[in-house]
Amino acid sequence: MNYGHSRKEPPVVSEVLPDIERDPGARPAIRAAGLVKTFGTIRAVDDVSFDLAPGRIYGLLGPNGSGKTTLIRLLTGMARPAAGTVEVLGVAMPSRPNLSRIGYMTQSDGVYPALTVGENARFFAAAYGVTGDAAVLDALTLVDLADRQGDVTSTLSGGQRRRLSLACALTHRPPVLFLDEPTVGIDPLLRVQFWGHFRTLAEAGTTIVVSSHVMDEADRCDELLFMRSGRVIARGTGRQIRDRAGTDDLEQAFLAFASENGVGR
Amino acid sequence: MNARRLRAIFRRVVSEFRRDHRSIALLFAAPILMTGLITFIVREGQAPSVTVALVHGGSPIGQVVSDRLRSALEAEDITVIAAVDESAARAAITNGQADVGVVLPVDLGRPGATITAITNGMDPIGEGTQLGIVRGILVATATAALDAPLPTVEHATAYGVPTDDPIAPYAPAIVGFLAYFFVYILTGISFLRERTGGTLERLMATPVTRGEIVTGYTLGFTLFAGLQVALLMIWSLGTIRVPAIGPLPEFAIGLGVATAGNPAVAFLVVLLLAVGAVSLGIFLSTFARTELQIVQFIPLVIVPQFLLSGILFPISGLPEILQPLVGLMPVSYAVDGLRQVFIAGADLSSGSLQLDLLVLAVIAAFFGLIASLTIRREVA
Repeated sequence: MNYGHSRKEPPVVSEVLPDIERDPGARPAIRAAGLVKTFGTIRAVDDVSFDLAPGRIYGLLGPNGSGKTTLIRLLTGMARPAAGTVEVLGVAMPSRPNLSRIGYMTQSDGVYPALTVGENARFFAAAYGVTGDAAVLDALTLVDLADRQGDVTSTLSGGQRRRLSLACALTHRPPVLFLDEPTVGIDPLLRVQFWGHFRTLAEAGTTIVVSSHVMDEADRCDELLFMRSGRVIARGTGRQIRDRAGTDDLEQAFLAFASENGVGR
Repeated sequence: MNARRLRAIFRRVVSEFRRDHRSIALLFAAPILMTGLITFIVREGQAPSVTVALVHGGSPIGQVVSDRLRSALEAEDITVIAAVDESAARAAITNGQADVGVVLPVDLGRPGATITAITNGMDPIGEGTQLGIVRGILVATATAALDAPLPTVEHATAYGVPTDDPIAPYAPAIVGFLAYFFVYILTGISFLRERTGGTLERLMATPVTRGEIVTGYTLGFTLFAGLQVALLMIWSLGTIRVPAIGPLPEFAIGLGVATAGNPAVAFLVVLLLAVGAVSLGIFLSTFARTELQIVQFIPLVIVPQFLLSGILFPISGLPEILQPLVGLMPVSYAVDGLRQVFIAGADLSSGSLQLDLLVLAVIAAFFGLIASLTIRREVA
């Protein structure tokens, strides 16, 4: 992929990007207002505001270094914003108790290699305060690892470890789920399976925020947020974004919005 | 051997190491620091200041020898206090007023008379030096004054019994030190993995608190420290006889070091020390990015404790400017506590042992607190 170097013709996009239509009565699952995060002189997240509705899959798309992970860390309360506020399920973040309602799959697998599959899942379940084994078994079944519970994690393949990592974020059946590049480094077949899992969870009411720098995953999301240099430069369904950019190619659309916002190159 | 490939590997090693500034600093600075410290301790180690409690024994010749001995000792800058009898001299030693007691017998000058030299018994190495100085002057004075064959000088200790076992003074200290060292390394590396492996980030995304993490780690590693120390104590204190089987002769397993006190109390001392080592490992893992860097802290935090806690070099003989540092070394309290138990047979009712345990507990709590402060939600 190449962002910002292979632009062809600039599409005409001038209107302020509207939020998608949704039930105005529904309380947002996630609300960000004026979020800023700086590292030295770099504004990793630069004045980001949005409301995300429950039970939908949001794709956070943008190149490496565009601020996706930092934004997710702000939303989960793992980092403190320099300015702005975050609310998840109506609770201001950071909030330790609220973390039991949030699932977070980090970019690295973040599982203990010396523990078995079952031990890893049960450990995180216990950390989330889950009692009983039903949710752990559900999570492991969802990622097709229920019959590998006794296997030591270091003996798993990379894809299996990624699946375990997902299961560990699901052991407490969180209504809000953040997935930081969940499909990086996994094969196309497993990727299809993962998106199947995400859809299943969303249909059950889970709000999912997935970050990715792979544009061909975008159409699996209900809505997209394009990020560039710490800002959300476009938001809408895949169709809306294509229409607005006047191109059928999401990569081209991204480049169009990037240049529109003066941060394309 | 292909020169090009060889050169590539050589260059890779050099460029990689060159960018690890801390490794380079330690490679050159650590040995200089360590050899400097050791040389300083050995070369500048003070002749220990000695106070002698002198008992003249009541005989006229004893009065004469006692007076001459006093002036000879004082000529060597040794303080002399008078004690009425042996039990008064022992009391002066146990309450810290005197280092060495010299008890002249009533029958001084007659054949078979024995002079008793008493030391505390808690710091056999340091006391050996002090006793050596006093004994030299004593023998010279007595020989000149008595004009008779040298009286026997017998060594007694206020605590325990003087032992010929050369390992006896070291064994308690080494048990404590090893536990501290291994627990630090294990915790440091384990927690570093937690930080670099992404599991800490993930754990902090759960409702788990920092206090729960530090306490949980402490419980886990203290269990293993406890097992290690228990095994080490059985090995050091025990003598298990294995009977002759077939052509094999009978032999004994275990070091068979004598202990005056209850091993369970000694175990408690080491366990408290180990709890502090867990917190230290967690705390220092903040400042390391690789496992190598955890190991690199050894010259900075472990070696000084080894040198300044009275394990090899008695505290009384350390250079004066290093003396205040001793109180900052957690290991020094454990070494003192362990010697109290092993040599003096102290139990939990002993005030100085209680003090050691209290200080170790405070150190463990302090490092536990700062360790938990290094675990932030914001780990990246």
